[in-house]
Formats: sequence, C-alpha cells, structure tokens
Amino acid sequence: MQRGLTARRYPVQVWLVHRSSTRQLRSLTNNMTVNGSALPPGGSALMEHAQATESADRRATAKRLRFLTVGASGSEAELAALAHVREWAGAAGVETEHVPDLPRAIRRLALDRWNLVFAALSDRPAEELAWWADVLRRSEGAPRLVALVQRPSMGLALQSQKLGVLDLLSLSLRFEDFSRVLESLRGTEMEEPIAFPPVDAEMVGAHALVGQHPAMLDIYKLIVRVAPSNATVLLLGESGTGKEVVARAIHQQGSNASGPFVAVNCAAIPENLLESELFGHEKGAFTGAMNRRAGRFELAIGGTLFLDEIADMSLALQAKILRAVQEREIERVGGGEVIPVDVRVVAATNHDLKAAIAQGKFREDLYYRLAIVTIDLPRLSDRGDDLLLLAAYFAQHFGPRYGKSIRAISDRALDLLRRHEWKGNVRELRNVIERAAVVATDETLRVEHLPEEFRVRVGAPAAASPVTGPDDTLGTLAANEASHIARVLAHTGGVHGAAAEILGIHRNTLARKLKEYGL
Amino acid sequence: VKVEQALRLLPGLEALAPLRGLLFSSAVSDEGAWAGSAQKLTLGKRVVSSEEMRQRMSNVLAQIVAHFSALYEAYVTALECLERDDPAEAVSSLLRAGRLEEDAGRLAQGRVWLGVALGIAKGLQNRKPEVETLLSLGRLSAVLGSLKEAARHYRLALTVAEGGFDDAGTIAACEGLGNVEVEQRGWEEARGWFSRALTLAENAHDERRIGQMLHALGELARRTGELQTATDTLRRAHERFEAQMHEEDMARVLTTEAMVLADLGLPAKAAALYREALAWAWRGQREPETEVFIRLKFARLHIETASFMEAEDEIRKAEQLAISGNLMHQLVQIYTLLGTLRGRQADEAGFVFFEQAIELARMLGRVPSLHAEIYQEYAAFKHAVGAREESEDYLERARQIRVDWIERLSVPGGRRATDIAGAIS
Repeated sequence: MQRGLTARRYPVQVWLVHRSSTRQLRSLTNNMTVNGSALPPGGSALMEHAQATESADRRATAKRLRFLTVGASGSEAELAALAHVREWAGAAGVETEHVPDLPRAIRRLALDRWNLVFAALSDRPAEELAWWADVLRRSEGAPRLVALVQRPSMGLALQSQKLGVLDLLSLSLRFEDFSRVLESLRGTEMEEPIAFPPVDAEMVGAHALVGQHPAMLDIYKLIVRVAPSNATVLLLGESGTGKEVVARAIHQQGSNASGPFVAVNCAAIPENLLESELFGHEKGAFTGAMNRRAGRFELAIGGTLFLDEIADMSLALQAKILRAVQEREIERVGGGEVIPVDVRVVAATNHDLKAAIAQGKFREDLYYRLAIVTIDLPRLSDRGDDLLLLAAYFAQHFGPRYGKSIRAISDRALDLLRRHEWKGNVRELRNVIERAAVVATDETLRVEHLPEEFRVRVGAPAAASPVTGPDDTLGTLAANEASHIARVLAHTGGVHGAAAEILGIHRNTLARKLKEYGL
Repeated sequence: VKVEQALRLLPGLEALAPLRGLLFSSAVSDEGAWAGSAQKLTLGKRVVSSEEMRQRMSNVLAQIVAHFSALYEAYVTALECLERDDPAEAVSSLLRAGRLEEDAGRLAQGRVWLGVALGIAKGLQNRKPEVETLLSLGRLSAVLGSLKEAARHYRLALTVAEGGFDDAGTIAACEGLGNVEVEQRGWEEARGWFSRALTLAENAHDERRIGQMLHALGELARRTGELQTATDTLRRAHERFEAQMHEEDMARVLTTEAMVLADLGLPAKAAALYREALAWAWRGQREPETEVFIRLKFARLHIETASFMEAEDEIRKAEQLAISGNLMHQLVQIYTLLGTLRGRQADEAGFVFFEQAIELARMLGRVPSLHAEIYQEYAAFKHAVGAREESEDYLERARQIRVDWIERLSVPGGRRATDIAGAIS
C-alpha cells in the first residue's frame, strides 16, 4: 500500500484466532477486531457499512500478504509443518508458495516481493539463521523470517532475537503459533509517516555539520573562535561523533583554509610504515623505498594536518611528533636534512588520554602540547532531536544516490531510532539511514527498512524471549543468565575477554557457560 | 597485542606455519565497529591474546599430530603393499599422502610425495595409477605457478590415458591442458582442449563432466567477449548441474553466469545470481574457498556499480571466512580488493590494504601472478588518488614480475614472453 505523507491512521487488523480449523479462521476473518476491540454485533446502518467496508479492506489486505515456505532436509516433520502453514495461511486468505530449498528460495525472492518466509532449518541452524537474516535483509521489501527447527534451544532463541527473526518455532507446529505470527506480522504494519523537517546543514567540503542541540551550538561557537588562531586543537569524543568533520570545519574557517587538509588515521597504518608515512623517506631508506617520498607533515605545509586516533602510536613516534609540533621541523626517514613545516595540527582520539598517560602509554608533554584547545564532542544519544535532523539530512543525502526521494520516517521507525543506544554515534546513524535508503520502496523509511537488531523490538513474540517462561511466568535463573551473557557479548561485539571482564567471571567460566547455553 | 607485533616474534620457518595459522585465526578486532580505523582494519591491526592462543593450541597440535599420523600411515601402508607385491595400491597410498599435504597447504611437500608415487607408477603394467599421479602433479604444478611443468605432466597423462583407453584420464588431461592455456591467455588453444574434453565426456555419457566442460567453454567465451555464446553454453551447464543437484558446480556456474550478466550491463540480474550461487554453496559442502570466491566476484560487481557499502559487506564477510579458515591466498586477494574499493572511494588511506596484501603475499612466497596482480591494482589505486609517479612505479613492478615469470616458463608454442606480458597488463 502506498502511504501518503498526509495519512495518519490505517485500518488495524488484529486476528484473534484460537482454533486450528479453516471454518473458524474464516469466521474470525469475518469478525475481526479493530484496534483490539471487538466490533459490536449488528448496530446502525452506518456501522454495518463501516464493517462491510473494513471487512473488504481487510480481505484485500489479507490477499496482499504473501508467504514463502522453504524446506531444508525434506523430512516428514518438516513437510508436515510447512503443509500446515500453507493450509492455515490459505484459509486466512494469504497467498503462499513452496520451494524445496534455500537456493530456490533465493531465486524466488529475487523475482517477487514477499511478506514472510517460513523456513525450515537444517543441521546447522545457528549458521543458517545468520544466513537467512542476511539474505532477507537484501531481498526486496525485506521480508520477515519465521524459522522452524526440530528442537528450539535457548541459544537459538537468543540468536533469533538478536537477528530480528520474527519467531523461532518447533517443527511440531501448532495453530496457535501460526496465528501469533500472523498477529505480530500485522502488528508491524501499523506505521504512520512523519515528514522530515527541513535541514539547515553547514557544509564542510563533502561533509556537513548538522544539529541544533545546545552542546553542538557551543561547539560551533568554539570552532569559530579557535579557527583563526594557529593553535593546536585536541578533539575528544566517542567513535563516530564527527571529530574529522569538526577538524575540517576548523581548517575551513581558519587562516590556512586555502592550504591543504591532510588527514592521517594513526591506528590504521601499519606500525612499520607510520613513521615514513608521517615524515616521508629518502630513496633506499628501507626495502620498498623506491623513491624519495614526502610525508604527511610536508604535504600539509600551509594547511592543516589532522592526526586521528593519536593514542595509537608508539612512544618513540610520539617523541618525534612532539618535536615536529614543538619545533615545526621534521627529518625524512633515512635523511639528515631538516625540513621546516608550517602546519597547523589538529589531533583526535576516542581514548582517555589522561588514563593513557597514567599507564605510561602516552607522553604527558605531547598531551599538553596538543591540548592547547580541547573540544569535547557529545554522544548522539545526548543530542536529543538532532537525531531526527541528522536522519533527515542523511535521507536527503543518500536518497538520490539510490534513486529515491525520501521525505518521511514512520513513527515506529523513529521511535526505534530514538531508543537505540548508538554506540557508533552519527557514523552509525549514517550507516543505518544509508542502508534504509537502499531498501526503501517509496518516500517513507519504515521499520522494515531498519537493520534486524532494530526490527526485533517491534512485534517480537514471546517465543523469542528467554527471560519469561510460558504464560509470561518469570524465567529461570539460567534463562536470565543466558540472556544477560548474550547482551554483554552483543555489547562487546563478541569479544570474550571483554565480556568476561564486564561479567566479572573468568574467560574459561564464560566459555563453559556459552557452551552450556548453546550461545 | 596486535598481529603485526605478534608476527615480529615468529620466525619465518616452514615448520611454524600452523602456528602462524593459529595466530591469524585467533585474531579479533578490538576496535569498536564504529571507530574511524575500523573501516581500514586489516589482519595486522587485529589483536590476539596469548590466553586465547594457548586455549586453542591443543586443537592445532592435535590436527598436526593427526596429519603426520595419516602421512606415516600412508607410508607404512605403501610399504605393506610392496611386501605383498601390490605396487598399484602402494601408489594409491602415496597419492593419498600427497593429497593430504596439498589439503594442508603444504604444496611443495605434496609435490615431493607425488614424485615418489610417479616413480613407482611408471613401472606398473596398469597405467591408470600413472595417469592419476601425472594429473595430480599437473594440477599442483599449475597451482604453484610452474605452468611449463604442469603442461608437461598433463601431456604425458594424455598420452598414457589415450593409449590405455582411459576416458576419465583423457578428459582430465585435456581439461588440465586447457587450464594451462587459459593461464597464458592462449584462448584458442584452450578452446581446443576443452572442446576435445567435451566430446569425450559426451561419448562417455558423463553428465557431470559434460557440465564442467561446458562451464569451462562458457567461461572462456566470457573472457573473450563472446557473451551470447557464453550465455548459451553456461545455461546448458547449469541445466545439467541442477538436474543432478551438484551444488558446488551449481555455485560455480551461477557465478560465471552472473559475471556474464554483469558484462552485459545487467547488474541487478547478476546480483540475484550471485546470491543464488552463495545459497548453492551453502547447501553443498560449504567450502569456505567457494564462498570467498563468490563473495569477491559479487563485491567486484558492487564496486563497478558504485554500491560501495554492499561491496564492503561482501569483502568483510569473505575476510572473516578467510581468516577463520586460514586461507592466505584468498586473504591477499581480499585486501587487494579492499584497496581497490578505497581507490574508487578516493580514500588515499586505502594504501594500508595493499601494504597488507604485499606482506601476506611475501609470506606465501610463491605465485608470481598474485604479486603482479597486487602491484597492478596498487598502481590503479595510486592513479585514482592522484599519485601518478608512484602509480607508474607500481605498474612497472607488476610488468616486470610478469615478464620474469613468463620468461622462466619458456612458454611453448613460440609466443614471446614480452608479448604475453603485454597482453596481460
């Protein structure tokens, strides 16, 4: 359904079905509730008209739903479960099609748009789940996944949750499971578009400074104040907060704006190359030095040198940087000539430099030389409504690149963005909106366009929740422990050492628990 | 400790290759996924912990013991076979040892085992073991970049197989000779060999081999720009493989079909085929090599269509597979492609990927074509970021590597090394 920006409310279908019979399903289709409240039987002619119209709408909507069932091993249990799905879906007016395996499913997904895939998983369900999540994210309309396995485990349930799988079910499929899936799928369809606000971006070359939060306004003022001087600036802030954009803005507003802006990411360059990269080298200075080569300091003469991730270099190299910043002169590797370098240095880090100094990993004298002016960049989650402005800017930026004109975001999608942790700050948001722009089909970004880890928060059924047992009873200690470990691992990006540290247990204990819970 | 630091402690001894493999496969990224450097992350910048390595060490040592046990067992079995006067079976055992070495990535050692096997096979009345050994030697020599030697083994295999009416051996020898020609850009010669193999496969009603030869011919047609012929030929191969559910072959042929579609300017259709190819690979033996191969081709398509984010996704997935599976050769290709991607994004920091590729290729210490490929792409990258002089230096280095390599081959057929090098670059 094409949704205009002016539309505010859509028919809501909540299917309350409890028995596995076609007759009852049809009966329920004809007596569906709206917004969860049962319509009164009979009533005025107007009500009857409204009911008739809504029933027709609902049937039409139901017909638009398309499910693909996908086999794996071809076992009897699998065939029976998928046959049930097709039977129940058919009775509910949902169009279905079956393919015997994953490759044929990919072929089918490439040809048509589907709302939901019921996929039986084979002998390596954990890997297959990840595979499916990836496949569906790239398929048109980003269909949701319901995975069917012989024996759902807690580890699989947690993984499903993390990957945004709509539900993980046993092959001994019950009608109640199916109706819950249908209900939750329809629940995700209630989205209202919110028009993006106009964005007033301060362009910095190919980049832009966007935001009206007071913390950002203070930073803009600081940039304007500090730029005309030649003072060294140290930018602090988490990854993705926009340190390089601010560095470019300082350069652009400064007296050396007509000179070059040279950026070096100190953490990315191999240690054995970093010195020659920064200071250059003479021909034959080392194996591979085929010719004399100017370093980044020289290339930045008359302009700005941006040293990103400054904490990631050896103490010996820090000493050379200190000399270059202090004395404004350098020597190429393998050369004796002293080269004056009139360069403004802006450095940045996401590390706590004072802690690094205390640990003897960063030179104190270099810190004070770099931190003549310090600018602290706020986290995205601390910038309030800047999130919407930035989302609008990125949608405006990436839409045309992918042939889209994106003007709005749905209320649910925006809500999910607001609730996200944004560990990667603006860089992560940029990535999320760019991905959404790739898969968007009209002018509104919706939940279905967001990555799986966002989508799981909408319409996630109880099956995927490890902390509550059946009937919403409290889960066992083990279930809660498994869930917490999974969260911590997600937080550390799967790094066991860091996870063990956060959990306050030994790595071996963590390894044992991961095995025990099938994580 | 970063991998680049850990490597400084590790002597470059062949015997320590499994330890280096353990180091690489234990390496993880300690950067937050959103750090600025994460986009430039290479294997050298990943971190390893001694504790993690110690935990996994017993597994690696068990694999080493299992490998050497199997080698010893193969040798003792060969000895038993000689004792009971069954030299053909002894050759089989020695061939098994050669393949074990090959599977473990010890190609030069594998070649030595095969040489021993050949010595015995030559004296047998039954010529099949000799054909089998020659074919294995041909394949291994080609992988090691010794094309002249590969061609010699394949020609001998062909002669012996034809003399013994060994259809399977003859088909394999023709295929091998075709592949050697492909490596040297001898398109017409390659077509001749593949066609001959196809005819033999058809006569033998070997559906899988027919499919494989059609695939080889289709790929050749693609490389020579005959896209319609390629499309038709590959479709015939595809139909055969699908009918027989040969997943691995399906994955490969779909990848080639996708490349043809990309050449025809149909990127969306090509992308759909790449995805299907991945699914077939997944359904099959789930060989990481096959998946990496498909993902890198898919990534190239994304780069060509300026879908950089998707390209990066595919390459990073391939990288993870290659690191976990200790696929060094593929890792070199992966970092080269990441560098190429950064060149297209005009990101001059992309040089870190080429430097990583060069370092890994140096560790591999073979396959000159791989070294030449890195420098050629590095030259294109430098050109893209405006470093013209360095670009020319790298291009010259790539050309020189190829000339040296081809001169060493003394290519048969009268073609001059410099002509071939010119055609390649």
